[in-house]
Amino acid sequence: MKPFRARGGRLVARLDRAEAGIVGLLLDQLEQLLAADATDVADDPVLGRLFPAGHRSDRDIAEDYRGLTEESLRSGKADDLAMVRATLPADGGEVRLDTDQAGAWLRTSNDLRLALGTRLDIGEDTEPPEEIVDEADHQLAVYYWLTAVQGSLVDALVAARAGRR
Amino acid sequence: MAPTWTPESTVEERSDLDRPWVTIVWDDPVNLMTYVTFVLQELFGYDEPTATALMLEVHHEGRAIVSSGPRERMEHDTSRLHAYGLWATYQMDS
Repeated sequence: MKPFRARGGRLVARLDRAEAGIVGLLLDQLEQLLAADATDVADDPVLGRLFPAGHRSDRDIAEDYRGLTEESLRSGKADDLAMVRATLPADGGEVRLDTDQAGAWLRTSNDLRLALGTRLDIGEDTEPPEEIVDEADHQLAVYYWLTAVQGSLVDALVAARAGRR
Repeated sequence: MAPTWTPESTVEERSDLDRPWVTIVWDDPVNLMTYVTFVLQELFGYDEPTATALMLEVHHEGRAIVSSGPRERMEHDTSRLHAYGLWATYQMDS
């Protein structure tokens, strides 16, 4: 992976074939999750994190909030995901994004990290795996790789914003 | 400086409807500090020092109030934060 950089008003990175493949698979999983029944939110911790309660203690307010917002949150996430898929080079290569597309990558990569982070029970003290011996190590490595991708995109967007001033 | 006149009844007369609501962002171990700062600038138009201070408050205190106003607007702010994956809630200001 070549991290994101702001270049000529675009956000540009490079993914190799295996990396693009992993992102594609993660997008498939997230897409399935977003298509899941709305009633699953209460039972699935990942959905619970992607669609948090709007109020901490008042159930009526939390339900009101869910009724008002969940549908549009879901469709917003689905739109972002579709935009990421459309700009992902399936066999690896350059990722070249305008500002709208970069916003979609930012939110979707965050959703992927939230989903993985929740499943892996990431905490403040979690560290990248020293070696990959099992599936959990592999998932953790993917999580940290996504963190690097997203982090470089945030930095590039901040740099681009500073450049516009 | 002391007030010359104390309005005695106004506090009781204020109904719940008049009290402001707030939107709170809570700390979570996944969201990057740079990302949280970026999102607060993007959504609320805060300058960089203000957004950074709020992000650090979330990080160190576990939560920070990022906006306040009528309930409907706090609902809206919360959903905009949820669209970015920040862990946000809204409530009546206590």
